Amino acid sequence: MSRRARPGETIIQGFLLFCGAVSILTTLGIVLVLVQQSTLFFGSGELDLGEFFSGTEWQPAIGKFGIWPLFMATLVTSFVGMLVALPLGLCVAIYLSEYASPRARGILKPVLEVLAGIPTVVYGYFALLFITPLLRSVFGANIVQIYNMASAGIAIGILIIPLIASMSEDALSAVPRSLREGAYGLGATKLEVAVRVVVPAALSGIAAAVIVATSRAVGETMVVAIAAGAGPNLTLNPFEAAETITGHIVRISGGDLSYDSIDYNSIFALALFLFVITFVLNIISRAVVRRFREVYE
Amino acid sequence: MRRTYALFALVMTLSLIISACGPTPTQAPAAQPTQPPAQATQPPASEATQPPPTEEPAMTVEFVGGMPPVDPLAVSGDIVTAGSSTVFPLTEALAARFQDEGYAGNITIDSVGTGAGFERFCVAGETDISNASRPIRSSEVESCQAIGREPVEFRVGTDALAVVVNPANEFLAEGVTLEELAKIFSNEAANWSDVNPAWPAEPILRFSPGTDSGTFDYFVEAVMTPAYGDAGEETILSAANLQLSEDDNVLVQGVEGDQNAIGYFGYAYFNENKDRLTALKINGVEPSTASVDAGTYPLARPLFIYSDASIMAEKPQVADFINFYLTYVNDEIADVGYFPASQSALNGAKAALLEALSNAGSE
Repeated sequence: MSRRARPGETIIQGFLLFCGAVSILTTLGIVLVLVQQSTLFFGSGELDLGEFFSGTEWQPAIGKFGIWPLFMATLVTSFVGMLVALPLGLCVAIYLSEYASPRARGILKPVLEVLAGIPTVVYGYFALLFITPLLRSVFGANIVQIYNMASAGIAIGILIIPLIASMSEDALSAVPRSLREGAYGLGATKLEVAVRVVVPAALSGIAAAVIVATSRAVGETMVVAIAAGAGPNLTLNPFEAAETITGHIVRISGGDLSYDSIDYNSIFALALFLFVITFVLNIISRAVVRRFREVYE
Repeated sequence: MRRTYALFALVMTLSLIISACGPTPTQAPAAQPTQPPAQATQPPASEATQPPPTEEPAMTVEFVGGMPPVDPLAVSGDIVTAGSSTVFPLTEALAARFQDEGYAGNITIDSVGTGAGFERFCVAGETDISNASRPIRSSEVESCQAIGREPVEFRVGTDALAVVVNPANEFLAEGVTLEELAKIFSNEAANWSDVNPAWPAEPILRFSPGTDSGTFDYFVEAVMTPAYGDAGEETILSAANLQLSEDDNVLVQGVEGDQNAIGYFGYAYFNENKDRLTALKINGVEPSTASVDAGTYPLARPLFIYSDASIMAEKPQVADFINFYLTYVNDEIADVGYFPASQSALNGAKAALLEALSNAGSE
């Protein structure tokens, strides 16, 4: 290849630069819109920031703007989701990276990817029509409400297993062979190698996977909108119905609220709050990777 | 190098395909409104359309003859409507039929709520027809007159609320009174036994349409306000175990799924799900076509459209559409999920239209 500039080359480079810029510009645009609309909300004079962050009731129609009921529901569903996804996802990753024969890997990995490709609305109805009846038959219909955070959380967990599994598996596979062979040489069993050598060595990658999965769980929308309930409810009981931040945004934006009303602007403030949470989680994940990465060269 | 060009070409074709895929979904909604009328002409229609002809067939025939026939093919020009979200689907269905039969203009239907609809009709004066789920208020008539409009009312139908419980619920078999209903949906009662000691000490699980729906407003106005005054809305919204959704299906599933649940929504939606839910008697009256017609069912409300003679004179397409609306509304209303207005109310609307047209003509 000569160094002479070719017109085709320039066009392609320009196009690729444009593609890269699109995602950055989109993010900036989203932040701009969120901040702009949230300012309308906070500047309306109908509430103060203190009320927003400490209030225990969210009911825009009667001027109650406390984020805790929605935030708590988001925390509960995400926590239940991680409770399901973390052990399962990690076990899948360890199996795939340390134990699976190439044949088993060849079958399992595509299956996991299929799981990742199922639309979340399907998971929502799976939660409502399968997990909820299951929970109710186990714990009793008086304890488990028809819409409840547990079933939504479990569905979210299943939904993010592929994410945790594939990211952790990448981290585990990246651990150099020499470490494993050294451990075998010292007489370690296969389980000891996997759990006490490979996993600690890949911890930074696994931690990053967990944090990315958490922000995915926090932001999950369709599942909670369908299965978790549609009324703000401050509770820690996962068998009760409660509305998450994302679920509330979906419900309000689906109705016919007029623009410029305080209720309408409030969903942008919620979205900004959500954006900040996931943004912070992503920053933490990057910091964790950088801080705890063990470099073997 | 050739490979890069091939790659570039591939990317370009892909993006072309993606952008070409774009328009198709946007076309789909336009086609949709034509489908519903074809599907369901049966449910409440069978009960609803039969009685009137036997009662007063002469009147009906006379008025259909009296109305100038509308040929949608000959109508042009745009029509702007706004107002009640409850009337919206009805106006939408008739607009779709008007367009199916050849009307080539645009009908804008904004679902902004009755009050906001009147504001645009009477204050801004930017709409031709205002959809309303309550009669116009005198203050609104005054602001209409201030901009030279004299609102003419056309009754187009009736909506009723069904209060529903789980079929396994036995303690409410006798129904509830309006006072009990207000208390059930209030923050004063956590358990059923708080409303009536004879009822079980189980939590009340409440399912209600969302706060921006006209159905919610109507429920507050007709049930909560009489019992709690201005605090009615706050009383229902601060109740525990309250699920609010614009999606009636969420409410149906919720009430169907829990023995201690209670909910309410438009009667039409109950009618579609009557094998899954039980509708309560209110003050001893069961919701039905007969009780709604007779006016004995307490949770029924009239649906209207409003226009003005000078608008109809200026824009003949508006008069033609209202004429078409009143002629065919009873064919569509059951599909949309409401009750037909009584024959005399509908005839009154037709008479009002004829009068407005002749006034406009003489001016």
